[in-house]
Amino acid sequence: MSQEFWLFVLMIGVFAAGCFALKWPVSVSMLLAATAGALAGGVQDPVRHLVEGTFGYVDTILTIATAMMFMTGFRDSGALEALTAAVIKKFHKWPGVLMVLLTFVIMVPGMITGSSTASVLTAGAVVAPMFASMGISTVDAGALISIAAILGMIAPPVNIPAMIIGGGIDMPYVGFELPLVLLTFPLAVVFALWFGWRKVRHMDRTKVLASLDFSTLSRYGGWRLFSPIILIFVLMVLDKVVPRVFGLGMPLIFIIGTVSTWVTGKRFNIVQSAKKSIEDVLPVLGILVGVGMFIQIMTATGVRGFIVVNALSVPPALLYAMIAISIPLFGAISAFGSASVLGVPFMLALLGRDQIIAAAALSLIAAIGDFMPPTALAAIFAAKVVGLEKYGTVLKKLVIPTLIIIVYAILFIVFSKQIRAVL
Amino acid sequence: MFYVYLVILAVVLALTVWVLFDTKKLSLQITAAMVIVPLLLRLLMIK
Amino acid sequence: MQKHRITAIVCFAGALVASALAGASFLSMRKPDLIVRGPGVTEKKMLSEWFSGLKGTAGDTEVYVMRGSDDGASMLILGGTHPNEPAGHLAAILFIENVVPRTGTLYVIPRANASGFTANDPQEGAPQRFTIQTPNGPRVFSYGSRATNPIHQWPDPNVYIHASSGQTLSGSETRNLNRGYPGRPDGTLTEKVCYGIVQLIRQQKVTITVDLHEASPEYPVINAIVAHPKAMQLASDTVLGLEMQDIKISLEPSPVNLRGLSHRELGDFTDTLPVLMETANASQGRLRGRTDEALVLTGKDKWYVRAAKLGRLYVPYDEHGHPLEERVGRHVTAISELMNSWNLEHPEMPLEVEGVPDYEGLLTKGVGAYLLPPK
Ligand SMILES: [Zn+2]
Repeated sequence: MSQEFWLFVLMIGVFAAGCFALKWPVSVSMLLAATAGALAGGVQDPVRHLVEGTFGYVDTILTIATAMMFMTGFRDSGALEALTAAVIKKFHKWPGVLMVLLTFVIMVPGMITGSSTASVLTAGAVVAPMFASMGISTVDAGALISIAAILGMIAPPVNIPAMIIGGGIDMPYVGFELPLVLLTFPLAVVFALWFGWRKVRHMDRTKVLASLDFSTLSRYGGWRLFSPIILIFVLMVLDKVVPRVFGLGMPLIFIIGTVSTWVTGKRFNIVQSAKKSIEDVLPVLGILVGVGMFIQIMTATGVRGFIVVNALSVPPALLYAMIAISIPLFGAISAFGSASVLGVPFMLALLGRDQIIAAAALSLIAAIGDFMPPTALAAIFAAKVVGLEKYGTVLKKLVIPTLIIIVYAILFIVFSKQIRAVL
Repeated sequence: MFYVYLVILAVVLALTVWVLFDTKKLSLQITAAMVIVPLLLRLLMIK
Repeated sequence: MQKHRITAIVCFAGALVASALAGASFLSMRKPDLIVRGPGVTEKKMLSEWFSGLKGTAGDTEVYVMRGSDDGASMLILGGTHPNEPAGHLAAILFIENVVPRTGTLYVIPRANASGFTANDPQEGAPQRFTIQTPNGPRVFSYGSRATNPIHQWPDPNVYIHASSGQTLSGSETRNLNRGYPGRPDGTLTEKVCYGIVQLIRQQKVTITVDLHEASPEYPVINAIVAHPKAMQLASDTVLGLEMQDIKISLEPSPVNLRGLSHRELGDFTDTLPVLMETANASQGRLRGRTDEALVLTGKDKWYVRAAKLGRLYVPYDEHGHPLEERVGRHVTAISELMNSWNLEHPEMPLEVEGVPDYEGLLTKGVGAYLLPPK
């Protein structure tokens, strides 16, 4: 066995020991695993490398932190509860349609920004209480929100993993819309009904309606109360459509949204609310920082090359199996990282397929990484917005959907030419 | 836009430092310390 | 004092210490490398002399003007477009330190993306610098980031939209010099540098532009010349000339639908004949093993040897690697051959130079033999 193999075992071992045996937080376990790898691997200038790795996530940290501030502000202003009441009152007669529509709604922020976290923390947070009042269990709601979020991140117009894979083989991000629509929307309908259909069919409408609180809504009125979410949505669309003029970027959009929640609803202490949101989200930011260190050390020591070359070493017949297994597993560290580190070499190994459809399908498989612990961004935040302390139960619900998504994506790669012929 | 983002970053950094000194949980303190490092180095325009 | 106060202070102090240690290391990259003015250099200018919008920015960069005694054609050599591709950077430096033009003019920009030389890409584990031994002692060169330093251009948009075509790429490509051409005077710093280079080409009526790169061994366009349609004849003559010297190089037409690259936009927007050249650099690849100075210098990598056996690479790869002197030698020889090909077709407007390091000499004596002592 190579030195890289043993280094990899050491890093995973330290991480697992910290995480499971000693019950340290994921961030701290990652830091120690990376440090152990750096020292055992004889990396020169280890502090520089550890810190440098974290910079891969500075922008992500800002996006997540500000999105969380916005969500907390929107909730503290009373708008979240009021929005649930308004929507359920309007649509309670068609629960099946409502399930599918709400799933699409969760996807929208991810479609525009390319971030599953943006989906979960904005639309996901808005929809979560609606699912609850429709009788869907918190665990099911969490699972559906996280699925919708990663489908939104892959659905057009913005799909960052596909751009990363395309960038690696000099393929412009053009002509992806239709394949991505076919990859994501059918799955969204399937899973919306999968998680919702049995429950919402037997929903007791009078009881549900009676449980809703309309006081905030009647006091401030819908337009005023919901204007922050409309504002966010408009700014996101403008950022996409006229980036030259309104290219604010997500963190700034969320900051503007946060400030607007302060004046549009119930009065609350915005500073305390912002601090509370950072406190809530710090473990996740810490995971990102730890993951950044981990990747940097894996790369510097050659562990990354060991993983990639071994993934490419399988005979052609097993290539699909390797794609299906290794890309989501590496996504446990980072979905975008997986698209770059494994997605690009696999894409090169898939030359001869329809490139756009293959890259689109690979991007969907890479997005599954957002379900994989320890990072599992989509699942962690989904558990948060439905009010679960731990996200383990949500993960269990995601196992079968994950397999379905992967198989569906692999079929797209296998039959890429036939699909292209139909398109 | 560069400086607008530095201000946003400074806000997140300040809140993180606040949480570090406010919380009683050691694990959260270490996590906050980890997050502070890249934010501080970017704010100082070092990296 | 309460216990949690003490631990908070300890944690905060730890963060400050880590920041200070890493910060000192990051700041050490700000100092530009020594480049010695060779006998052929007639003037050292800055790119801002062609586009004043770059003055005082981190994008402003040195332009070495090397004028021959007689008139002739001119050539712009771009090294360091991607500061993590050292062979291009060093080939440009070897021209500055060794070559003397007889006819025509050379413009050499060794650090085309000067900002990129001041940082490393996060999560790539790259060394900050590498040392080349010379008869006069060691010379140190920066190994930088593929893209402009975020300190100088931040934040990236979600999606990078190429200004003149509307083509979209992932947001981090906003800082990629070779996706920004022809650039904009009021654009990002990266676009301004592109614009400055275009202004130089236009104002000096540069005949041929060579953009020196390296690529990862698993990348299909490698050991290759990529040429704009206008430069196709010149490039194919060059490929033949290199084949006579047993240097295998492939010729690729510049893709029409891939925008922002030098070999596409400089041909479309100026009168120059643009070509781009790639050699095989393991230290920027995704399949590489241990990443350090030795990998940059030797290209020896066991995972690439294994990937070659699996048929995953586009260049031969064995235990000997692809050392820096071989990669620099390919670039230097190809540029020299470009000039020969030009001169054969255009005897009325020749570009003749002396002192180009020869391929065999580089392979046997190493790059260091062609680096001058500091003055
Ligand atoms: Zn390059």
